[in-house]
Amino acid sequence: MDTRNFTFMFYGFLAAWLILVVYVLSLVSRERKITEQLKGLKGLLDDKDHK
Amino acid sequence: MDFFRQTLVIARKDLRAELRTKEAINASLAFSLVILVLFSFAFDPLEEQTREMAGGLLWIVFAFAGTLVLNRSFAREIPNDCLDALVAAPISGAELFMGKALANFVLVISVELVSLPVFGIFYNVHWTSQIWSLLLVLALGTWGLTVIGTIFSALTVNIRLRELMAPLLVYPMLIPALMSAMQLTMQLIAGKPLGGENEVWLRLLVAFDVIFTALSLVLLETVLVG
Amino acid sequence: MREKLIYGLGAIAAVLLARDLYSIFMQLPDEASQGMIYRIIFFHVPAAITAMIGAGVTLFTSVAYLLTKNLKYDAISVAVTEVGLAFLAANLVTGSIWGRIIWGIWWTWDARLTSALVCWLLYAGYLMLRRAIEEPTARARIAAVFNIFAFVDVPIVIFSIKWWRTQHPQPVFWGGGSIDPAMYLTAVLNLVALVLLGIVLSLIRLRQEEVQREIDSLRRYAHAV
Repeated sequence: MDTRNFTFMFYGFLAAWLILVVYVLSLVSRERKITEQLKGLKGLLDDKDHK
Repeated sequence: MDFFRQTLVIARKDLRAELRTKEAINASLAFSLVILVLFSFAFDPLEEQTREMAGGLLWIVFAFAGTLVLNRSFAREIPNDCLDALVAAPISGAELFMGKALANFVLVISVELVSLPVFGIFYNVHWTSQIWSLLLVLALGTWGLTVIGTIFSALTVNIRLRELMAPLLVYPMLIPALMSAMQLTMQLIAGKPLGGENEVWLRLLVAFDVIFTALSLVLLETVLVG
Repeated sequence: MREKLIYGLGAIAAVLLARDLYSIFMQLPDEASQGMIYRIIFFHVPAAITAMIGAGVTLFTSVAYLLTKNLKYDAISVAVTEVGLAFLAANLVTGSIWGRIIWGIWWTWDARLTSALVCWLLYAGYLMLRRAIEEPTARARIAAVFNIFAFVDVPIVIFSIKWWRTQHPQPVFWGGGSIDPAMYLTAVLNLVALVLLGIVLSLIRLRQEEVQREIDSLRRYAHAV
């Protein structure tokens, strides 16, 4: 009985942290995307300035 | 006094516009009857259990049918720049909101009052035992529905996918009011009077109405104009 | 400066969490009637409180935006709402798992759980509403008004266990509840840790929002020249 509860408790903690980890990962991927966009745009503007 | 006069002008305008074509009210009524029929397939109307929870079903019908009317409230003003005219008119946001809400309330409650006897017949429910309390709950619940529907119609009037977003936002917001109305209706249909255990639901419903009416009166101008 | 704040707060949060995990698993005894599963409360309740604090912050920033028209308040609103939504989701899931053990069911429609789920739906709706509006000032204005409406559910969530008879347990940390002092300390420290974590995530998200806005304005500029 206790082992079963222990398994569930483990899943409980895992679930809570998994949700937060997924959110952090989404933040990280968003970060990567926007830094790329920023680089691209800055490059575009530099080209236009030099032309 | 000016407030009431302006409000009634708007309310009369909306009602007159709607009653000329009767599009929304007919659609709403038809929809309400169709859902009542559909529900009778999902839940056997002869079962005792169904009759007990029928009060809850009734409010789902009212919510869906009411939304048909309420979503159009501000959406109807978009063609021919009517919305701009309303915003430019010398009435305050609060008066505009109250006028539209009153008109919508009259329309939605008419649909409900017609659906109620039909509901009684289809589901074999005696809804007249606590008739005055039931009408009170009907009025309070419908007012909550109307206020939220009207303000969200204004909120979503200029956005993409308006028809999709408005119901998506309205229904979760309505849940406290719908739950209260459902609980109270179920008890009233079963013959129990208001008071005692029901009080907490009644208080929630009244609080819901008061808070959201106040918020909407204050915020409509911000929503439409900025 | 903000970078240092992020790292600093993050470090404190990590230390507190480590200390608490040690305490939760190594030091604290099993609870009298619940056995082992009660330990989930150390994350379940602080996550809820963090989410509610987030809701309060967004109410403040939404009103602040409407009064000042300063878009930075709008940026804070969206960052904090997202983070709060993640914490509220964690709260709902941990509660569900606890319920499976204690009540035998994953979910029930009592006042507390229903209003908490509605709260999640409302703030998720807030994020969806923002996606439907492209123009920044209109988006900020409409979203701010919706946020004010959404916040009305929060007091219902908090006080639902006092106002109705619910399946959800009565308050342990307030309103007449009692808890062993050792557990109380760990719970409070965990709350601090989660709030700090929430702040760190919000700051990161806020910075991303600001960069996104800079990109949008650069893009408009690039297309104009």
